[in-house]
Parts: sequence; C-alpha cells; structure tokens
Amino acid sequence: MRFAMRLNLFFRSFFLQTGWNYMKYQNLGLTFVMLPFLKETYQNDRDALPSVLQRYLEIFNTQPVMASFCFGALARQEEAIAKAESLTKFKEKVTEWSSIKKGLSITTASIGDRLFWGALKPLTLLIALFIWLMLGVNFFEINLPASVPLVYVFFAGGVAFFVFNAIALFVKWQGIKISYNADEKSCFGLTRFDWNKTIYNAKRIGLVLAVGMILFGLYHYLKDFSELDVHFVTRAVIVLFFVMISFVTRKLRIPNMYLYLAAVVVFNLVCYL
Amino acid sequence: MTPEVFMLCVLAALLELDTTYAFQLTFSRGIIAAPLLSLVTGDVMAGLQVGVFTELIFADVSPLGGILPPSAVVCSAVTLALHALGIELYFAFFFGVLGAILFSVAERYMRKNRFKWLVYWETQILKKPGVVLRAVFFSLATSFVMNFALIFIFTWVCGKGMLWLLPHIPTQAHFACRFAYMAVPWIGLATLVPAFRLKAR
Repeated sequence: MRFAMRLNLFFRSFFLQTGWNYMKYQNLGLTFVMLPFLKETYQNDRDALPSVLQRYLEIFNTQPVMASFCFGALARQEEAIAKAESLTKFKEKVTEWSSIKKGLSITTASIGDRLFWGALKPLTLLIALFIWLMLGVNFFEINLPASVPLVYVFFAGGVAFFVFNAIALFVKWQGIKISYNADEKSCFGLTRFDWNKTIYNAKRIGLVLAVGMILFGLYHYLKDFSELDVHFVTRAVIVLFFVMISFVTRKLRIPNMYLYLAAVVVFNLVCYL
Repeated sequence: MTPEVFMLCVLAALLELDTTYAFQLTFSRGIIAAPLLSLVTGDVMAGLQVGVFTELIFADVSPLGGILPPSAVVCSAVTLALHALGIELYFAFFFGVLGAILFSVAERYMRKNRFKWLVYWETQILKKPGVVLRAVFFSLATSFVMNFALIFIFTWVCGKGMLWLLPHIPTQAHFACRFAYMAVPWIGLATLVPAFRLKAR
C-alpha cells in the first residue's frame, strides 16, 4: 500500500464511528474510510464499485483504534477479489473477505476494549491524579485554592492525553501497515504483539497505582488535621464507608453514579431527621 | 442565560462529538473536557475538580460493545454552566450527573432511529459513491445540533429551576449535598481497584 493511501485511510479512520447506529453499527464509517482505496483498486472497473460498496455497507462493529487492523486486512483481500480470474475464484474470495471482516472485527474489538477502555484509560487517569497531587493541586477539597497556575491545571490532563494518544495513534498507524502485509497465519499481524501480556502488565501497574492513589489521597485528605477531633473522625468515616460500599456495589454491578445519587437522597433524609 | 453559558454549550456539543462520532482522541474525557470548558467560565479550578470527579464517577462504565456510558462532557458542561450561573458546585454536580444519564438515554434513542435516514444515504451512496462524504458531514452536523440542543435545554431548565429554588433550599440540603459531593472521589477510586483486578493472563 502506498504511503499516501495509508495516510488517507489513517485520517479517515477518525470518522469510523460517524453514523453509528444499532442496526449496522459502523457501516457508514467503514465505507467512508475504505472508499479511496476501493476507488483506486477499481479505477478500471467503475461499474463494479456499487456491488463492492454493498458489501462494505453491511454490518460492521469493532473498537475504533484496533479497527486499523481490519482496514489493512480488508484492503489486501479486496485486491485479491479484484484480481480474481474466474467467477468461482471471485466467489471464494468474497466469502473469505466476509469471514475476515466478521472474525477480525470481533477479535480486534475484544483486544481493543480490554486494552484501551479497560486498562489504558483508567491508568492514564491515575497518572494524571498523581501528577496533580504532586503539584499540590488537592482536588479532594471542596474549597479549592483560587490561585493555581494554569499550567498546573492542564499539565496532568495533557500528560494523560499524550500517553493515551501516543499508544492509540501508534497502534492505529501501524495496524494498517502490519495487517496489510500479513496473512491469516499470523492472524493479520495481530500475533506480532503480545496483547495479553500488555493488558496484564497495564492492569498490574494500574492496580498498584489505584491502591497507592487511595493511600496518597487519604494522606492529602487528612494531613491538615493535627488532632483526632470530630471533623477528622467524620472525614475518615465517610471515606472508609464509601470505599467499603463501593466494593459491594461493584460486586452487585451497580454503577457509581447511582451510588452517588443514592448518597444525595440518603444524606438529605438523615439531615432532615 | 449568559453568553458564556451559551458558548460553553456550543463548545460542549463540539467536544461531545469526540466521544463517538469523530476522532476519539479523548478530548471528551472529564479531565480534558472540564478544564477546557472552564476556560469559558473562567473558574479553572472548578473545571479541574469537576473533571476529576466526573471521570471518577463514570470510571466503572466503559463503552464496551454497544454499552453507552453517561457522557463526561455533558456532566462537566451542565455542572460548570450551573456553577457559572451562581449555583454551588455540590448542587450543580448533582444535575450534571442527572444530565449525563438523561443524555445517554436520548443518545440511545437517536442511535436507534438514525438507521431510518441511513437507509436513504445508503441508496444514494450506491448510486454515487462520493455521496458518502456528504453523509458523514450530515451525520456529524445533526449530532452536533442534537448535542447542543440537549445540553442547552437541560442547562436552561435546571438553571432556571435552581435559581428560583435556591433561596428556599434549607441548610440541611446544602449540608447533605456537600457530604455526598465529598464522597464522589472515594466512590470512584474504590471502584478502580477491582477494575484492575487480574482475572487471567
């Protein structure tokens, strides 16, 4: 694949989820991403394009970053379809194309969801929180200091943004190239990375950071108290209560937001009683 | 409704596109979006806190499969807009969370019904492939308009209601909402630990 075409697919891939719907998911986005490649592949046979587009407008759903592996693999297979010498070969290649599209989208979605949404996003959040606390921005306090340098406010978020996107854009860019050059034996280049080990390591780091964040947060939350007065005890009880109850609600699969809304109602009732 | 609140709603509608429809460069994350939105209102520290709290409260809901998590941008925008109107953060955040939940319901409805006009675009694309660019632009434009309308209307209704109610709210309610707001980071942090649990390698 030419560099210019790869670049085109890369930029268009940012709009993969435009037109997301519950019937065919990312079908419009996939067609938009692949259109320049299809136009180039079928430049001598423009009449074939509608039937080709029909296949791309079928159901497609995967994780947006990892979708790049699908683009490369589908492009390679599309070339094989375009070069098919007989009708039997053509049908065979189209069937292969369909199974690649279905199988690869499921695999990449599974990897992408666990890596980017399940591990990397919360991990970068924790990194940002640590940076803010180390810069002295104590976001736990309701009465925030008014004069904090603007750089401090955006620095930690910027680091989280940079770390997440550096990895995501690298995978996106490389995914197109690797999957285009690979075959089904290497699962279209997916086996070039040890995804499970990466996810495992990211989660291990995340676990350590999450426990560290609770302890570090507790220190920041309670450090201004010189003695064990009623305010200190109240704060400590609230923290412990919500940490414990969060573990329980997590087990019961009740989202945090409902716990917060319930807390508002319960606290109001307690205050009135 | 002040011009800055209007501007904030426009910026929020744009940032909300990043959640699903365009880029996904994490501009729509709480810790990025809220400080950016707070540049409009001028209270960046409130933006930072709202960003952190929003991200933590929604940390346990990920967009896996077809799951639609509540929007961090909507939560941040509603909270900061109400705060800019003179409502305390601990009240504003409550409405922010409610707004985000309602927005995800509306978004689900839009996604279900978007297919109706997509059928039209599909036939157009098959006739003339270049139409796909117009379909993408149309989709982005309608999403932006819907985002803006939903954020603006919710903020306007809550803002009007709260400004009218505020003088009549008893001290106990202030106290209770402050306590619940104080608990938010701890609720979020506690769920991050099991989120990173190592099931299997």
